[in-house]
Amino acid sequence: MQTVWKGAISFGLVHVPVKMFTATEDKDISMRLIHKTCGGPISYVRQCANCSVTVSSEDIAKGYEYEKGRFVLFEKEELDALSTDATKTIHILDFVDLQEIDPIYFQKTYYLSPDQAGGNAYSLLLEAMRQSGRIGIAKISIRSKSSLAAIRVIDNCLAMETIFYPDEVRSISQVPGLPEASEVNERELTMATMLIQQLSAPFDPAKYEDDYRKRLMELIQAKIAGEEVHFAPEQQRTNVVDLMAALQASLEAVGTPAAAPAAMTDGDKPAATKPRKGGKKKAKETVS
Amino acid sequence: MAVKTKGTIVVAGSEMTISNPGKLLWPEMEITKLAFLEKLIELSPYLINYCARRYLTVIRYPNGIHGKSFYQKNCPDPIPGFVRTAEQNGIRYVVLDSLPTLVWLGNLACLEYHASCDRIGEPDKPTEWVLDIDPSLEEEPRIMEAAWLAGELLRSLGISAVPKTSGATGVQIIVPLQPDLTFDELRAVGRFVGDYLSRTHPKLFTIERMKRNRGDLIYFDYLQHYQGKTLSAPYTPRARAAASVSTPLTWEEVRADARPTAFHLLNIGERLRRHGDLLERAPVQNLRPILEFIRKK
Repeated sequence: MQTVWKGAISFGLVHVPVKMFTATEDKDISMRLIHKTCGGPISYVRQCANCSVTVSSEDIAKGYEYEKGRFVLFEKEELDALSTDATKTIHILDFVDLQEIDPIYFQKTYYLSPDQAGGNAYSLLLEAMRQSGRIGIAKISIRSKSSLAAIRVIDNCLAMETIFYPDEVRSISQVPGLPEASEVNERELTMATMLIQQLSAPFDPAKYEDDYRKRLMELIQAKIAGEEVHFAPEQQRTNVVDLMAALQASLEAVGTPAAAPAAMTDGDKPAATKPRKGGKKKAKETVS
Repeated sequence: MAVKTKGTIVVAGSEMTISNPGKLLWPEMEITKLAFLEKLIELSPYLINYCARRYLTVIRYPNGIHGKSFYQKNCPDPIPGFVRTAEQNGIRYVVLDSLPTLVWLGNLACLEYHASCDRIGEPDKPTEWVLDIDPSLEEEPRIMEAAWLAGELLRSLGISAVPKTSGATGVQIIVPLQPDLTFDELRAVGRFVGDYLSRTHPKLFTIERMKRNRGDLIYFDYLQHYQGKTLSAPYTPRARAAASVSTPLTWEEVRADARPTAFHLLNIGERLRRHGDLLERAPVQNLRPILEFIRKK
């Protein structure tokens, strides 16, 4: 796994150096966008809406559109300066019960491993949290965004869930068409609860799989096997091939002879090159 | 060198203990540690010549080629007085610049010697350009054909190069250089050449970086030659059944489809006595005109 962040958990006087790894991965099959008429892949070009020219990244700034067509601009340094994450710490503020947090708050999970000589402090925190059965609520900045996070124990690993700030979670009152008072038929309710009981099972994630991805992968394999394959037009081909021919021609024009195979090994030197010995000596002098 | 007592030898005035001289390091070739050290001494002038001014990475096989192995960049302790080291990015590398150092490493079961592309204290002044032709198949019958085609293309650009077996399955093409191009500039030329080869020989070459997407194509690797990366040093033994040695070849040998496993510890001495070091004699090249041509387009 690749380290995505390095820092330390701090609570009270305890300081636990950790490395962070992404715990989950998206296995969606990604597709390129293809120009239907020729089969070439679509590339994204950043174009200025005003000048209609392609803009390179050094000429691009970030701007906040505070009203239609009006922006305030920011340099990267200005935005970086806002980040409070000078210390690179996961600062634990409180310890709470996991049940107190509604799953709606959970955003993304990371694993934390001890870094450098942090093994002892890590084990201490892990064991103390395991025994108390509580989870830590912490503040953390990853890249430029600061988040709330929950630190909890999974087996012998500390894990961190980033969680939404309360004002990022929309209120249920905004959902239209929710029933106000319950008007359910007693008999139907009995049947429904019976059905729930019948379908009750321990949660076993291994038995669920992504049917769509499986079917898509089969379709991809079938298309490749049936040679129903579209090639990107080789526009580049002519470029690099033509370019190579032009290069060879121009080298020939200035009289660089193509070295014959034997000449490369028997010590004969092609006219355009210098003998190895002299060159090497020169290299030595520049080094020491 | 004189064998004084069993287990102790004197190399160029430095005494050192040889542990387990009878241990089989390459069992298929029946090469013991003592035989390995003898071969290493035979190879030493050539190996040292190439490695002396580079950061060295070794691969150690304490129980022979079929046992556990590990890469070692940091100089192992205790460091004998005759060993020089050089630091880079917090790592204290062994400088392989003397026979005692080589024998010391050999005794530590360092079977493979990989040298940094950059030289000590010269992060961006490569003295050669290396193209790594790396087959996806363990046994690639077309490897020499691929090397030949790459060599022919370089030749058509007036570039004289030396092919060498990596000692494993691949071939590397080495172009000695005037140290006036940067690694990035060499990558630009490499990309151009690789692009051309993969387009003109799409069933042979690929420049795809992800191994799983290469199929059985031969990877034309122009990226490995870079500051901070290593390549198998010319004349390093490899921890493979054939005890193969990374060996510079003639283009005739490439055209005659030489097998990489044909060059190994037991016959490399004879070859060196007959041909000398093909790499040492290779003429220095100037790639700047080609780079400038590519840049203009």
